[in-house]
Amino acid sequence: MRRLGGWGKEIELDLEGKLVPALDGEPVAASLLAAGESVFARSVKYHRPRGPFCFSGGCSQCLMRVDGVPNLHTCRVPARAGLKLERQNAYPSAKFDLLAATDWLFPKGLDHHEMFAHVPAADRVLTRVARHLAGLGKLPDEAPPSAKPAETIRTKVAVVGAGPAGSSAARALEERGLPYLLIEREPYLGGRLVHGAPDSGEPPPLDPAPTSVCLEATAVGLYDDEEGRFLAVLRHWSLLKVYAERFLLAPGGTPTLIAFENNDIPGVLAGRAVSRLLRVHRLLPGERFALIGEGAEMYALARLLESNGATVAAVVDLCAAPGKGALFVQPVRALGRRRLHGLEVRGHDGALHRIDCDAVALCRPPAPSFELARQGGALVVFDEQARTFAVKTDAHGRTTQRGLFVAGEVASPMSALAAAEHGRRAAQAIASELSGGL
Amino acid sequence: MSKTVLCTCEDVTVEDVETAIAKGYRDVESVKRYTGFGTGFCQGKSCLSAVADMLCRRADLHGEALAPFTPRPPWQPTELSILASAPVDESAPPVGGVPVSLGLSNRALRPSEPLPARAQVVVIGGGIMGLALAHNLSLWGERDILVLDKSYLCAGASGRNGGGVRMQWGTQSNIELAKRSIELMKGFAGEMGIHIWFRQGGYLFLAKSDAVARRLERSAALHNRHGVPTQILSAEDAREIVPELTMQGVKVCAFNRRDGVIFPWPFLWGYAQSLTRRGARVETFTKVTGFELSQGRVRAVKTDRGDVSCEAVVLAAGAWSPEVAALAGVKLPNQPHRHEILSTEPLKPFLGPLVSVMDSGLYFSQSTRGELVGGMGDPKEPAGMNLGSTLRFLSRFARALIEQLPEAGRIKVLRQWAGPYDVTPDNSPILGRTPTLPNLLQMSGFVGHGFMMAPAVAERMAAWMGGQPDELFTRFNLSRFAEGRLEREDMIIG
Repeated sequence: MRRLGGWGKEIELDLEGKLVPALDGEPVAASLLAAGESVFARSVKYHRPRGPFCFSGGCSQCLMRVDGVPNLHTCRVPARAGLKLERQNAYPSAKFDLLAATDWLFPKGLDHHEMFAHVPAADRVLTRVARHLAGLGKLPDEAPPSAKPAETIRTKVAVVGAGPAGSSAARALEERGLPYLLIEREPYLGGRLVHGAPDSGEPPPLDPAPTSVCLEATAVGLYDDEEGRFLAVLRHWSLLKVYAERFLLAPGGTPTLIAFENNDIPGVLAGRAVSRLLRVHRLLPGERFALIGEGAEMYALARLLESNGATVAAVVDLCAAPGKGALFVQPVRALGRRRLHGLEVRGHDGALHRIDCDAVALCRPPAPSFELARQGGALVVFDEQARTFAVKTDAHGRTTQRGLFVAGEVASPMSALAAAEHGRRAAQAIASELSGGL
Repeated sequence: MSKTVLCTCEDVTVEDVETAIAKGYRDVESVKRYTGFGTGFCQGKSCLSAVADMLCRRADLHGEALAPFTPRPPWQPTELSILASAPVDESAPPVGGVPVSLGLSNRALRPSEPLPARAQVVVIGGGIMGLALAHNLSLWGERDILVLDKSYLCAGASGRNGGGVRMQWGTQSNIELAKRSIELMKGFAGEMGIHIWFRQGGYLFLAKSDAVARRLERSAALHNRHGVPTQILSAEDAREIVPELTMQGVKVCAFNRRDGVIFPWPFLWGYAQSLTRRGARVETFTKVTGFELSQGRVRAVKTDRGDVSCEAVVLAAGAWSPEVAALAGVKLPNQPHRHEILSTEPLKPFLGPLVSVMDSGLYFSQSTRGELVGGMGDPKEPAGMNLGSTLRFLSRFARALIEQLPEAGRIKVLRQWAGPYDVTPDNSPILGRTPTLPNLLQMSGFVGHGFMMAPAVAERMAAWMGGQPDELFTRFNLSRFAEGRLEREDMIIG
């Protein structure tokens, strides 16, 4: 865990009474990692240690109680002086959690459906016990300030996601003079062009950048009502309803786990979380890395890590053909508990190897965020080659649902350059639909 | 201890998915419900594809058979207070709902082997009613039973309800049925070998208008006469049960400590597994397409997997019953009405009873997993089969909940969905023989409370089918609508 720089005022956070240095405004999870904290919480059932994984608000591994509010993604809460942080779901503490005994008592897992069900009166006791063990976090300390009144926006094209696909689509719409609104979760445009591992085939920066942009805004639903189809968007403790004639969804995807033993322990991070920590927050979340995954992005991450002074101890290429140079082809087991200290892998010769490392990056393409598109009725299919669900689309981003377009990684794994091209073509198709030509 | 985790929100491992597959839960929706994957904080964003990949390789699912589970808005956990800010026009009916299509009957998942050519009893609908009835018939020695469902178990209202069970009803027959059901629920885990997490935290009804207050008082007196210890409490006294409630505008409360909540899904699995063990067949993803009728009787049930000749047919398809009955030329007066519901992030226990504001139809309880589960009827909801979710519901529910529980404004909604109430003109069920087709037995029309009544209704229906006389099946017969003998239940939530 090493800071490579970073900017912002130096402040302190209150982690269960312990003061932790942080930079004002950076994600709390980054501050904690920088301070050497690895265990953020305990898991819901087996009380296994949990630390940040995806760094994009797409998992649940970094949840903490923040200033009396339970279950906040610390990867998305900006650090502020005096912020009170508490770990959840542990007794007496997340570092030494007696309830972690469940993990040891049930090495093969705990069958909550049938365990002791036939034992007389056991169900009543179990129901009581389960109720007290279940649940993450406690009721919020107090009621929130009331949200601002919801706002309604009408535009021709609503674009979700300002990664390479969404940004270039917005740019193309702008060039054609079509009114649009680009909605982006992050406080910056560019998506993986900013926080991913740089690829040699990246599209050029968008210049000029799209102008009709709503940053730090998250589309949570594609609904319809008496006035038509609209996106429900959360922004700064308020709600926007965005009605549009066409919707272009380019939200990318969510990092996924790869199945191997102990794949959930602190120190196993999504590849995009590692690149984000490095490039956006100037934080190296380990010194010796093992990378597991496939494709150009994994090797780009290896280069990024090495150029920042980290060691890439092993690359496990899941798609390597036998004899094609890759040494390791299958992860077997992560070693460690509250902190990762190694990885057992299998080589293409079948032999087991032990890699010393303090971080593992999982570098499979993210699972497409198809949810909004499917809410709107678009067909989603399983791609057996990519091993993910994805929105069915043509080269112009048309889905099976009229008026609904997608572009970029939500459709299939693709490079940033290909995503930008997909976005541009989708924008063209939308423009021609709206101008009456088909 | 080494574990290979697929869903880190709910600690679901590779072994858990293998267990589900071995038990016959092979489709994505069933595996989700049986293992719990995708029901946690991230709602499957980071695990769905990994589980699907496993089902592809180990359960041999491919192509359209491998559909993702229904996405349930919101895409990110969303605070109730923000949702409360969405404008709602209470004077207009709700329009729309997402997902646009639910895909309940996935043809690609239809089993390829043919159905048996004959069965003594065919039960249409693998919801709680049909399964509970089949189970009770099997206790009476009838093993030649075939239960058909067009989708996965739990796809209909039985898998979509809030799990509330209460004795606080407005008619004697419902009170007695509910009492018996609760007794049976207490023994369910022991008998069936699966937990339903029944917790008697009570039902706390709040009344805000004088009329509703009088109704609660009247029914409490009726409850007491039938051995149900319902108490009428002042708002102040009720706050001792749930101190967090504001009791804003509340005149009077009714509380029965013996009411409670269960976890609906394992209830269905318990019955289905027990049936399979006893030699009966439960066939999912199998659609009834028609009936073969002759001389005033049903001779066979036609399905998309072949025809099954039978002695008796039980129609227990909940809100889909009118659709199926129409295939036999029978008109049922039931109408489906959408009821929306949501579930929040799981929290440590703080809420004992299920709380319901009788005036608005708001209800909420805390599940054994810790989530607040709640819904609210919409007086403007038009009749019709619509299982879509709306922002309007989230907003109406959030406002009503925050009024009574202000801290809930910070609680985040993880998912919303809807289920169909199977509504009859008098809010009472339709049971017994069809006047025009005596071997077509009706078992529907439970207006959103079928789940809690099923164990007791099924017990009595099986006994009645075995030859024991029971007035329930005359009183609630379909003929009552033509004869004008209606029996109105007015303790309906929403």
